[in-house]
Amino acid sequence: MKKYGKLNGYNKWDIAFYIALMAFPVLQFCIFYIGVNFNSLLLAFQKFDVATNTTTWVGFDNLIAAFRRMFMTSEMLRAAGYSFLAYGLSLVIGTPFSLLFSFYIYKKLPASGVFRAMLFLPSVISAIVMVTMFQFFVERAVPDLVFRLFNLRIEGLIENKATRFAAIMFYNIVMGFGIPSVMYANAMGGISPELSEAARLEGVEGIREFFYITLPLIYPTVVTFLVVGVAGIFTNQINLYSFFGQWAPGNTVTYGYWLYIETAAGDRAEYPELAAIGLWLTLVAVPMTLIVKKLLEKFGPSED
Amino acid sequence: MSKKANSSSTKTRFTPVTVVILVLLALYTAFLIWLLVWSLLTSFKSWEEFRLNVLGLPEKWVWNYSFVLGKYTVPVPSASGVYNVPYGMMFLYSVLYAGGCAFTATLVPCITSYLCARFPYKFGKVVYTVVIIAMILPVVGNLPSEILVAKTFGFFDQIWGLWLMKANFLGMYFLVFYGVFKGLPKTYTEAAKIDGAGNLAILFEIMLPLVKTTFFTVMLINFIGFWNDYQTPLIYLPHYPTVAYGMQQMSVSTEYGMSTIPMRMTGAMLMFIPIFAVFLIFQNRLMANLTMGGIKE
Repeated sequence: MKKYGKLNGYNKWDIAFYIALMAFPVLQFCIFYIGVNFNSLLLAFQKFDVATNTTTWVGFDNLIAAFRRMFMTSEMLRAAGYSFLAYGLSLVIGTPFSLLFSFYIYKKLPASGVFRAMLFLPSVISAIVMVTMFQFFVERAVPDLVFRLFNLRIEGLIENKATRFAAIMFYNIVMGFGIPSVMYANAMGGISPELSEAARLEGVEGIREFFYITLPLIYPTVVTFLVVGVAGIFTNQINLYSFFGQWAPGNTVTYGYWLYIETAAGDRAEYPELAAIGLWLTLVAVPMTLIVKKLLEKFGPSED
Repeated sequence: MSKKANSSSTKTRFTPVTVVILVLLALYTAFLIWLLVWSLLTSFKSWEEFRLNVLGLPEKWVWNYSFVLGKYTVPVPSASGVYNVPYGMMFLYSVLYAGGCAFTATLVPCITSYLCARFPYKFGKVVYTVVIIAMILPVVGNLPSEILVAKTFGFFDQIWGLWLMKANFLGMYFLVFYGVFKGLPKTYTEAAKIDGAGNLAILFEIMLPLVKTTFFTVMLINFIGFWNDYQTPLIYLPHYPTVAYGMQQMSVSTEYGMSTIPMRMTGAMLMFIPIFAVFLIFQNRLMANLTMGGIKE
């Protein structure tokens, strides 16, 4: 008979098993998280000569050049503006609508199952497919419809400079409801039914129930989405590559798109400066994320 | 009985606000259906007809699908010149890329979270903290470095290389699995240990079967994500174009015959229909099993 005296104890076989299974994830993490990011840091201080295929250390030259490029060129300042604008619009419009839609689903009001499926559908379809459909719809179908209804000729909404960014953001917000709505609805599903029942008996229903009971109880999930979303300011491409490939118009470009196309261009000599820009953006993104997290936790609704 | 009671207590009457939400959701649904139906109808039109009849039903139904399937190729450079990868090969590459990456990207967080949730070692807490920190603290602009590291390790332009690159435990699904494993009673493993089961038997015969629903859901979501992803293959798999990669190339193609709107809609439909079928079959599983709490350091 085995020794069962220490039922919850762990022996050397447990440790060996633990190490054997943990080895691969840790190694992968060391290479593709620590290694990649450390290498990115080193890249920011190097220069690559394509002609001689050699790497040299250049001190802070890349960081200075990256700083100038980011803060003194209209191209990058404009990218900053659109990046923050895209995040702000998603936050101000996307998040409240996602929460209200998920509340409707959670309350099992008429057709909530259909709405849940329709909200989620765009998240499972490739962005390139959805963008192709949407792009030609607003470029061709909408002007045709306006002409039929009002006998008025208008440009396509993407072709028209004045409506381009709005149309792209409309796409991003409307097609982005899926995951948050379903996650919020599932989180709301975890609220004790007795709580809703008690609230209803006290006359707290509808939007009051949403603000006083539902939102405070799922607030940790909302915070998670919002905090993780801060990084999106610097990485979100707002589907520009799907809309325009490498040739997005300047009055739409975000940091995320710019970094992707510059890297995808594959010019090895450009990598150090891109790494330096990434380093600057990380230095901005990290404190910003922590501040947002602290503020949301401090000023958000309380479960009490 | 209690389920019914729970359901009725969650339900609410219509209020002005919920009526407004209903109207918005109805508008959203109508827009999405219109968009999909319009795209489908457009894929059955000739270019000549589309220019005159943008919104209506096709007067003459044209089968663009066989033409697009035949022409749906991606030129790939090789030592012996440029060769075209046909749709069938792209489909195979998509299955290998999406299937393999989905499996490793699900298995690794599942196993890692199991170790962290069920073994009382301090290292598990370190891993958990690392996951939280990596989620909160964004690292921007490390793509050039990642490409260089992938090239250094020989993972670049290899489908199996991407399986390994995606096999990380970071991210939301670690927390999903961690929550599930933490919630399982200890009595299962204790009983198995009394019966003489080893750690491997406990993992494969008890724990993994208990989380198979979550595992399948996460893997399905990952599979859809990788299937739809064209940006990673565009950079990391220049010789193995996937279906999504091909669709992206088609969307910017200027080739005569393929660059028209009906042809592009046909290409879009060819990608849309298989995933839509998967969605219809598994929609409840996809949407019901995922919950995420807050993040605490």
